Amino acid sequence: MMDIQTLAQQILASDRKALAQAITLIESSLPIHRLKAEELLGVLPHSQDTVRIGISGIPGVGKSTFISQLGSWLLSKKKARKIAVLTVDPSSPLEGGSILADKLRMQELARHPDVFIRPSPNLGTLGGLARGTRESIQVLEAAGFETIFVETVGVGQSEVHVASLVDAFVLLQMPSTGDEWQTLKKGILELADLIVVNKADGELKQEALRMKKMLELSFSYHEEGFHPAVLTCSSLENEGVGNIGEQVEHFIARQKSNHQFLERRKMQNQFWFEEELVWCLKEEMGHNPHVKKLIDPLRNKVRKGSLGISAAARRAVELLLH
Amino acid sequence: MKTFWRSDWESLAKDELRREGAESLSRESQEGIPIQALYSQDDLDAIGFVESFPGLPPYTRGPRASMYFNRPWTIRQYAGFSTARESNTFYRQCLAAGQKGLSVAFDLATHRGYDSDHPRVPGDVGKAGVAIDSVEDMKILFDGIPLDKMSVSMTMNGAVLPVLASFIVAAEEQGVPQEKLTGTIQNDILKEYMVRNTYIFPPEPSMRIVADVIAYTSQHMRKFNNISISGYHMQEAGADSAIELAYTIGDGIEYVRLVTERGLDIDHFAPRLSFFFGIGMNFLMEIAKLRAARTLWYEKMQVFHPKDPRSSILRTHCQTSGYSLAEQDPYNNVVRTTIEAMAAVLGGTQSLHTNALDEALALPSEFSARIARNTQLILMEESDLSFCVDPFGGSYMMETLTRQLIDKAKMLLKEIDEAGGMTKAILAGIPKLHIEEAAARKQAKIDNGTNTIVGVNKYTAPTDKALKILDINNKEVLQAQKASLETLRRTRDEKKVQNALMQLSAGASDPHANLLQLTMEAMRARATVGEATEALVKVFGRYQASSYSVKSVYGKFMKDNPQFKEAHRRVDAFNRKHGRRPRILVAKLGQDGHDRGAKVIASGLADLGFDVDIGPLFQIPEEAVRQAIENDVHVIGVSSQAGSHKTLIPQLIDCLKKEGAHQIKTVVGGVIPPHDYEFLLSQGVGAIFGPGTPIPECALAILNLLENQT
Repeated sequence: MMDIQTLAQQILASDRKALAQAITLIESSLPIHRLKAEELLGVLPHSQDTVRIGISGIPGVGKSTFISQLGSWLLSKKKARKIAVLTVDPSSPLEGGSILADKLRMQELARHPDVFIRPSPNLGTLGGLARGTRESIQVLEAAGFETIFVETVGVGQSEVHVASLVDAFVLLQMPSTGDEWQTLKKGILELADLIVVNKADGELKQEALRMKKMLELSFSYHEEGFHPAVLTCSSLENEGVGNIGEQVEHFIARQKSNHQFLERRKMQNQFWFEEELVWCLKEEMGHNPHVKKLIDPLRNKVRKGSLGISAAARRAVELLLH
Repeated sequence: MKTFWRSDWESLAKDELRREGAESLSRESQEGIPIQALYSQDDLDAIGFVESFPGLPPYTRGPRASMYFNRPWTIRQYAGFSTARESNTFYRQCLAAGQKGLSVAFDLATHRGYDSDHPRVPGDVGKAGVAIDSVEDMKILFDGIPLDKMSVSMTMNGAVLPVLASFIVAAEEQGVPQEKLTGTIQNDILKEYMVRNTYIFPPEPSMRIVADVIAYTSQHMRKFNNISISGYHMQEAGADSAIELAYTIGDGIEYVRLVTERGLDIDHFAPRLSFFFGIGMNFLMEIAKLRAARTLWYEKMQVFHPKDPRSSILRTHCQTSGYSLAEQDPYNNVVRTTIEAMAAVLGGTQSLHTNALDEALALPSEFSARIARNTQLILMEESDLSFCVDPFGGSYMMETLTRQLIDKAKMLLKEIDEAGGMTKAILAGIPKLHIEEAAARKQAKIDNGTNTIVGVNKYTAPTDKALKILDINNKEVLQAQKASLETLRRTRDEKKVQNALMQLSAGASDPHANLLQLTMEAMRARATVGEATEALVKVFGRYQASSYSVKSVYGKFMKDNPQFKEAHRRVDAFNRKHGRRPRILVAKLGQDGHDRGAKVIASGLADLGFDVDIGPLFQIPEEAVRQAIENDVHVIGVSSQAGSHKTLIPQLIDCLKKEGAHQIKTVVGGVIPPHDYEFLLSQGVGAIFGPGTPIPECALAILNLLENQT
């Protein structure tokens, strides 16, 4: 394994290979790699002058194509200098392997010299979000990538995590009307800073416009305060992408002008600290022989039914804390 | 004598089976059709069998009344390689040796509308077919071959406009007017989006081009087949016979709808529609498929109310399956091809290509091409196969199977109709998904030994002497093509060319213009294939389909296979040791769009626990290397089917070195002639997997390669 100082130097010089290897290190499941990764993150600077954009939506909604077009638009309009994209694909729960095919739909962007795209398997953790995504963002930002996209498959709970990683959370929706749209999880819609009804082309165009109306209506019933803008887009016909780019820009500018931007990042740091704390505790509990000795009797009792589950859990915490 | 019934036979047969420990008197075919041990009159009654006759509706028994009795099928061998000059020499030899029609294979650069000197195609020029850049090349290709007498079939879809236009102009300059031309242009773009991937433009303008070609040829070239609606490539991509049948007929109907919607009379063009099926090793099923295809086509065409009976008669070319050929013990391929050729003949094909025994490795050599041709000549002239029309007609089994296939195909077509027709279904990825699923299932059945392939997964031979095969020196072809392009561009009237190209671009945005006619003007002025294509790309854009992949099909069938389990265990151990799973980029380089192998291996390796990155089609080595580095894969697996490996693999490895990515290994799979192994290994390739290598074996070899370095 490479010397961390050298790796950091190469990352600061924006070396593609070093970046890629750093992300591998961050994602590794080996404790020794964890330590190295922490060391690396410790020496890399924190860059604040960046924009992180989360893109989520169900499989097939067109996330990758959308990012490719939005990214190309940002570059061509000189609204971004260097763009990085992190995509997360589900690992198979059975075999553990994965097929990482997001880049197929981002070829135009992938060929650009100022772009870095890295697909990662989610390893079945944190509801669809690769464990290392947060830290990978930091590495990419240190390397001078000022605009970062994070793409995840929308499977419900994962959105909470992506939304907690980014400055602007864009939710992509399929055009659909009638009963279907009502099944959209309200909680997820409320996380969104921007909602895009994609595939507004051909026969679906009318349906997309209707859906946009319905979504806007549903928000107007809510209490006052922030309502996400609802836009339509056709990634296929490359229409509406510029408009969305500008909306994202406005949103970020507004966040910055009313001091929400940094405030949100601070809140996110706290959120991730708590997530990580639970994670560390869990891992420690899994490995530490003393913990095992303390908890195993309780585990047995629960299995036999001689002790209630929540009572046993509370008892375990008491034991651990004393 | 006492009368016996089917029930008597059944109880007797069941007794025998019980003694032998078998359970059922029927097996399921790949298509999901039960194949019974015996058929009888009861089965014919059950399907309501009605006797019919060849040459008469519904044409189940053949498109012509006398069939081969007086006029045998056309022996038409698909060939083409290197330069037009080299291919011309080969064609003339074949015609002298008994071949009856030509079938031109173009190289992949031409297919994708690139001139030979384009930076994306150096590995592909002259490799899997002949390089054609302009009318000049086309004239050399048919030098000394009388185009008013010789029927010429051309496999061209993406760049159909410049290639067909060049052919017409070359004939014209040879003194043959276009109305005298006979032959076939493949012109079947739908299956390109489905399986073969040699498209250029998005589906909508591509369909317009198909219609333009049909409109033009049905007016000016009445003896020319304006399309060859192809199922062959679906079968090669892994489709079973029912899927191939259904989607081919579905494609045909879509074309007919397209052209009639433009106001052309059905009887004006439909008699010139032709078909192309693949014929695999399921002998009985394949005969039934051709009979079913004719019946189904007749039925489906009636909604268009043709008056000319020829409008609803399906005429077809067939090719024996390349997929069924093995690299191992290659003389077995002669036997396979013979069986397949017999099925095509018994099914009533109009023309036939028999594969050469070395087709799994390379383009046919002179020797293997002769044996392939002779296979047909022997069937035609030594055997009694052509004496009797539809000898299987009335067979309990064959008539039942024919009907069951029709029913199965109708079910698949219903799904397509519900999706709004073939174009929409293809855009939604429906047919592709079914085909890929069938392919993964088929591969798993071979790898786990359920399906026998002699010399591959059973009865393997000790390594025998390598075949002598044809090797194209791609560098020389490239030089020659570049030189003639240079001469062409220097000597032509540039103003005239640019003007014609501008007209062509303008025609692309004018739905009333006929693009074939406009392309002919450009080609006549000596525009190149690449320039004519570029003129259209300006308006239409270049299209790249996004890929779908099937997961867990392979693993499901393999989970009890010991080698699969071993590989799975090793992958898990790797993961524990290295903190992540082995990660591979499965890449396709150059213009080769055959991606069944790449997809099957990708889905198989993922099922074994690999993290698999999929490279887009048509990558150049530099792009693959960048993707491999960014994704930090352990290994790049290149799938190569079109012979460009000797150019592109060294480039890939050089590029990896240049980028300092020494840690990334390279493995290669697909159609690699054994005598290239040494060369590739010396270039730094870590392992080579020939056709038919079981996926767990590939996985284990890759793991060995990775474990040895760390």
